Amino acid sequence: MGERHSPAETVALIAGALALLVYALAFASPYGLRILTVAGVYALATFGFQIVFGLGGALSLAQGAFFGVGAYVTGILGSRFGLGFEVTFPLSMLVPLLLALPVGLAVLRLESHYFALATLGIAQVLHLLAVNLPELTGGSNGLAGVPAAVLFGWAVPRGLPMAGLVWGLVALGGLIGWRLAGGRLGRSLTMLRDDPLAAATLGLDVGRLRLIAFGISALFAGAAGALAVHTQRVVSPEVLEFPVMVSILTIAIVGGRGQMAGAVLGAVLLLHLPEWFRFLERGYLVVYGVALLATVVLAPDGLTGLLDRIAARLFSRRPRASVEAKEPPRPQNSPDGLAVDDLRKSFGGVRAVDGVSLELRPGSITGLIGPNGSGKSTVINLLSGLERPDAGRVRLGGRDVTGTRADRLARAGLARSFQAAVLPNGAGVLEAVAAARLAVDPDARTAEAHARWALDRLGAGDLAGKGCDGLPAALRRRVELARSLVRRPAVLLLDEPAAGLTDGEKAELAALLRELAQEGVAILLVEHDMGFLLPLAGRVLCLDRGRVIYDGPAGGVRRDPAVAAAYLGRAVPA
Amino acid sequence: MRRTLSLLIGLLAASSCLSSAARADDTLSFPVLVPLTGFLSLEGTSQRNGAVLALKQTPAGIAIASEVVDTGTSPEAAVTALERAAGRGTVGAVAASMLGTQMLAMLPLAGELKLPLVTVSGTASITEQGNPWVFRFFPGDAVTKAAHARYVVEELGKRQPAVIYQTTAYGQSGKAHLDAAFKALGVTPVFEEGVDPAAKDLLPVLTKALAAKPDVLVLHLHSAPTALLLRQAASSGVTLPIVAGSAMHQPSTAALLEPAELKGVCAETAASPISGGTPEVKAFTDAYRAAFGKEPDAFALGQYDGMTMVLEAVKAGARSPDAIRKALSAETFQGLAMTYKSDGKGNMAHSAVIVCYDGASRVPVLAKRYDDPTLAAK
Repeated sequence: MGERHSPAETVALIAGALALLVYALAFASPYGLRILTVAGVYALATFGFQIVFGLGGALSLAQGAFFGVGAYVTGILGSRFGLGFEVTFPLSMLVPLLLALPVGLAVLRLESHYFALATLGIAQVLHLLAVNLPELTGGSNGLAGVPAAVLFGWAVPRGLPMAGLVWGLVALGGLIGWRLAGGRLGRSLTMLRDDPLAAATLGLDVGRLRLIAFGISALFAGAAGALAVHTQRVVSPEVLEFPVMVSILTIAIVGGRGQMAGAVLGAVLLLHLPEWFRFLERGYLVVYGVALLATVVLAPDGLTGLLDRIAARLFSRRPRASVEAKEPPRPQNSPDGLAVDDLRKSFGGVRAVDGVSLELRPGSITGLIGPNGSGKSTVINLLSGLERPDAGRVRLGGRDVTGTRADRLARAGLARSFQAAVLPNGAGVLEAVAAARLAVDPDARTAEAHARWALDRLGAGDLAGKGCDGLPAALRRRVELARSLVRRPAVLLLDEPAAGLTDGEKAELAALLRELAQEGVAILLVEHDMGFLLPLAGRVLCLDRGRVIYDGPAGGVRRDPAVAAAYLGRAVPA
Repeated sequence: MRRTLSLLIGLLAASSCLSSAARADDTLSFPVLVPLTGFLSLEGTSQRNGAVLALKQTPAGIAIASEVVDTGTSPEAAVTALERAAGRGTVGAVAASMLGTQMLAMLPLAGELKLPLVTVSGTASITEQGNPWVFRFFPGDAVTKAAHARYVVEELGKRQPAVIYQTTAYGQSGKAHLDAAFKALGVTPVFEEGVDPAAKDLLPVLTKALAAKPDVLVLHLHSAPTALLLRQAASSGVTLPIVAGSAMHQPSTAALLEPAELKGVCAETAASPISGGTPEVKAFTDAYRAAFGKEPDAFALGQYDGMTMVLEAVKAGARSPDAIRKALSAETFQGLAMTYKSDGKGNMAHSAVIVCYDGASRVPVLAKRYDDPTLAAK
């Protein structure tokens, strides 16, 4: 999650940066400086791709197209209108951004592969425009004679000055990218990359976040495109072709997905690698391919991942500084809770939910039971906004929220857990719980303080420094519950929270739920363990084939013949 | 950290040193920077072979060095290759890519580095940049497309051409010159459409062209698309005469087709060495076959002539890039394909030929030669 390096890795990265500096100043030939400059250009383009793809998980194949648009803006304005770098550079970032926003609104809600295809289509359209608008773009020949970057009257010469300009901007861009990746935006994007549904139920606006990431990626790509044109002094449709996109994608993967340092490492390596084998004529491609394959095999998590592994082997990882717990503010709970009236949902010919009505009052615990496939999870999905009902009404805090998106419901005070605890792979427990506060807290640090409070309250404070990977099922459930708890919800929907817990853990969970109810939280508890549920719940609903077959006090459910026939097996005599 | 730093600097510096190993003697370097991979690899390989063959036949007493570098098809790779070449000893001249966009990218750097670029690129604009360091040993589009149009109109007597061209720099440049040449001849094409070089089916564009009721098909396509369109035309029973661009004259293009599919097809080009000619051309063809196991084409011959003229200049005493540039600018050279003489802009070749296939062989015969440098029809 985000971008965090151990001290050893930080030292290695600083050493790398210094090495590049010393090499550029003291050893590099003009040819070496050119490769370094081009590597900087690609690193800058990859920063943006790391945000939209590496962190956000959206495989945008438009990054090369935005690169090309930035290149054409600089090429046209520089060669035809004689404008200087101080004008062309910002415009080369602005135009791709203005293009990305409407395009993003149209395509960002598509599923991954459709999204990739749609963004590839953008690149194709732009390429066709570049070829077929020769009056503006120079057509297939492109525009020659693009001037060198002129910065406040100073024409930046090729060689060291140009390399310095590019790498100065790389340093600035990398710093911005690193801050974004480690902050609220980066963590939110990682959350939605790992599980968009869970992210939405934690209050993160998936569409808005992806649009922001798409826009930022376009800014970086535009900046890189502008610098590319000043480096090669000509702009032609090749800058919009797929190989540019492939280079950016390869740099991101080889360098380390989502890592700004990875973008730099990947760009430096991949731009130098073919040059080392140029003497082999066309055979260099074979060697380059083999070397690339070897890199991917040896460093499946990218070069930064390899550095991580080496650092972990050489140095013991220093535990993270403990985060001081801070209780998140408790929102004003509405006296209305959640009211559901005649909810219906079908999947094809199957009626999953058929006329369900229920009311979750503040301070109450309501049980929802029924055989497998009876519609319990679908009810929770409908109430939490992951599914849209076909009919019926849902009111939350007195407001009609029927069909409202999951993130909006979450921000309105509704929290839920999943049957199988959904925790992001590779993340720390504290980060995973803090992710649930990203939509409301001002920064990641505050979110972590609140997360620590939630973990402490569940008696899981000692898990804060651990990773989610490899946690036993019971602890994963506890961490997931902490994610719900930390949001201070008005309504809490829990899908089989006691599954896999020991009797002792169940007792602790029951006590916690009672406490929450006493604080005014309305709780809906889907559970199969009657021994756990019935003493807790004031009211129980039983579903069978999507319909409510019992709605009454918990004490009466065992004696109900319909429930017995459909679910429990035999009725307990009165 | 000190060790890491030293190691990293060492690695990068070693790569830099490898590339800039300067030669101490007065050896002149003639790097060959051409597209060996990508959509222009066939033509680029011909260009490479022509340059390499010429450099192999360096006159005695002249010490030269050469390295072949693949420029792919991106302008960026071409510029990087030129910068790399410039750092490796004293460069006399560069055999430079035939891809127009790569040439346009290399020109400013060649101007800064003061290095002559010797190319067979047909893209008109490379000699329209006012750059004195470019020399084109292949007739530009102004010459070849005028020959193309004149053959269609004056020799075949056709006045309703359908023009199918490539949407690349090569295609757009050729199409513009074809338009101008047909206009000068009082002919307006009944159909014009550009096709992407990656298109895998050209039947749709062929069908549309035929629907316009042309009396001749005029192609200006790269090698593989030319072969694809001709095959699809043959299998569709098209009997119209077809006059193609220079890609068709290449033996590697003809090898993609059956001789019968070539019946009635003609092509413009600078030369067709396999079609025979002078004993010198035959000797070149034999040497080329022996060295590379392939048939030479006009690109190979043009680049061969260009590098031979460069070496002749060196033999005559030119020992610096500027001296070679001056010789190329001022001298007349009798090459194998034609007589070369700069027009002041670096256009050295002013002749074009039309070759035609008889349907029985993949070797075309010379149908018409246009030597007039002002080919525009009256």
